[in-house]
Amino acid sequence: MSVLRPLDKLPGLNTATILLVGTEDALLQQLADSMLKEDCASELKVHLARSLPLPANVNRPRIDLIVFVVNLHSKYSLQNTEESLHHVDTSFFLGKVCFLATGAGQENHCIIHRHTVVKLAHTYRSPLLFCDLEVEGFRATMAQRLVRMLQICAGHMPGVSALNLLSLLRSSESPSVEDL
Amino acid sequence: VNQQDLDPDSTTDVGDITDTEEELVKKCEEIWKDMEEYQNKLSLTGTKTLTDSNAQLSLLIMQVKCLTAELRQWQKETPEIIPLTEDVLVTLAKEEFQKLRHDLETVLSTIQLKNEKLKEDLEREQQWLNEQQQIMDSLNVLHNELKNKVMPFSESRIFNELKTKMLNIREYKEKLLITLGEFLEDHFPLPDDGNVKKKKKNIQAPTAQLITLHEMLEILINRLFDVPHDPYVKISDSFWPPYIELLLRNGIALRHPEDPTQIRLEAFHQ
Repeated sequence: MSVLRPLDKLPGLNTATILLVGTEDALLQQLADSMLKEDCASELKVHLARSLPLPANVNRPRIDLIVFVVNLHSKYSLQNTEESLHHVDTSFFLGKVCFLATGAGQENHCIIHRHTVVKLAHTYRSPLLFCDLEVEGFRATMAQRLVRMLQICAGHMPGVSALNLLSLLRSSESPSVEDL
Repeated sequence: VNQQDLDPDSTTDVGDITDTEEELVKKCEEIWKDMEEYQNKLSLTGTKTLTDSNAQLSLLIMQVKCLTAELRQWQKETPEIIPLTEDVLVTLAKEEFQKLRHDLETVLSTIQLKNEKLKEDLEREQQWLNEQQQIMDSLNVLHNELKNKVMPFSESRIFNELKTKMLNIREYKEKLLITLGEFLEDHFPLPDDGNVKKKKKNIQAPTAQLITLHEMLEILINRLFDVPHDPYVKISDSFWPPYIELLLRNGIALRHPEDPTQIRLEAFHQ
C-alpha cells in the first residue's frame, strides 16, 4: 500500500499505534522509549520510519496517529517530511496527523525558520508541537502529551474523537498574519 | 466514520460473575460485527492524497463535513450504559472507593508534610523573635543608660573643653611669638649703628632710632587685626629700608596701591 489510510484495518484489542516519521533515528528512538515508559491504560505500539511510503510487505497494525518529526537544523528533514506527506490519505488529516518540530532551542543551528513549519502545519490543518527532543525533561513531557493524543486518536477516550481534539487544539493556534 | 467512539472500553473488567460477563461479551461481539461491516464498507472507498496547493481548502471542506456528521451522530444517539446489575454496581463502587481512598491518602500525606514544615518554620521564627527581643531589651537598657549620662555632663564638659582649648592655643601662640622673635634676632639683626657712623659719613644716616624687624612685624600684625578695613601703616624713618624691601620682595608685606609710603601685612589667614 503506497498510501497510508487511517481505517484500513480493524483495531487491535486495547491497542494504540503511533507512527513516528523523521530522519533523526536516534531522536525518534529516544522519543519512542520515553513514550513506552509512560503508564497508560491502553497497550502502546510505536513504529518508526524514515519516510513514507512504508514498505508494503510488513504486517503492521492500524495506525492511529502519525507524527512527522521535523528537525529545524536540517533542510533534508523538511524535504523528507514534505515528500512523505504526499503518501498519506486525506482522511488522516482529520486529527490523526501531528507535526513535531525539534531543535528550536539552538537558534544558531536552525536553518529552517519557525514560520516555515508553522505554515506547513497550517496548510495541512494539523497541530504543530515544538520540543527539543534532545533534552530529557522536554522529551518526557512531550511523550506524555503524545500518549494522551494517541489515546484519543485510537478512540480509547469515550466522548472525544480525534476531530474534536483537533478543533480544541485549533483555538490556541491563531493563524499568523501572513496567511490572512 | 466515527465508529471508534463506540469502541468497547476495555476497562469493563467485571470479576467472576458469569452472566453479567456473558451479557457483556455478547454485546461486545455484536459491536465487533458492526465494526467489521463498516470496515468492509470503508475499504471500498478510494484513497486520496493532497498536494500543497489544494490541501487547505479540501481539508477544511472535509473537516466541515465530518464535524457535521459527528454532530448529527451525537445528537441522534442516546448513551448506552452497561446493564447495572448488582454485581456490576458493587464492583464499580469498590473501584470508586479504592480510588477515593488512594486520593485521600495522598492528600493526607501531603498535608502532614506541610504541617511539619509549618511547625519547623514556626519554631524557627519563634527563635528568631526571641533573639530579636533580647537584642531589643539590651539596646533599650543601653539607651536608657546613655540618656541619663548625656544630660548632666554636657554643659560643664563642653565648657571645660573650650577652656582647655583656649589655654592651649594661647600657649602655642606665645611659643610661636617667642620662636619668631629669637629667629628674627639671630638672622635679621639691626645694622650696627656704631659701625655705620665710624666707617662712612652717610648723608642718609638714619636720624631716628631703628626698630627691629620683630617690632616692625608686630606693628604690621597689630594694625592688620586692629583695623582690618585699613591695615596700612605709614613707613616711618624707624623702619630700616633694606628690611622693608625684604618684606616686600618676599610677599610678606604689600605696598598701598596708590600710596608708596604705606605698607600692609599680607593676609595669610584669609
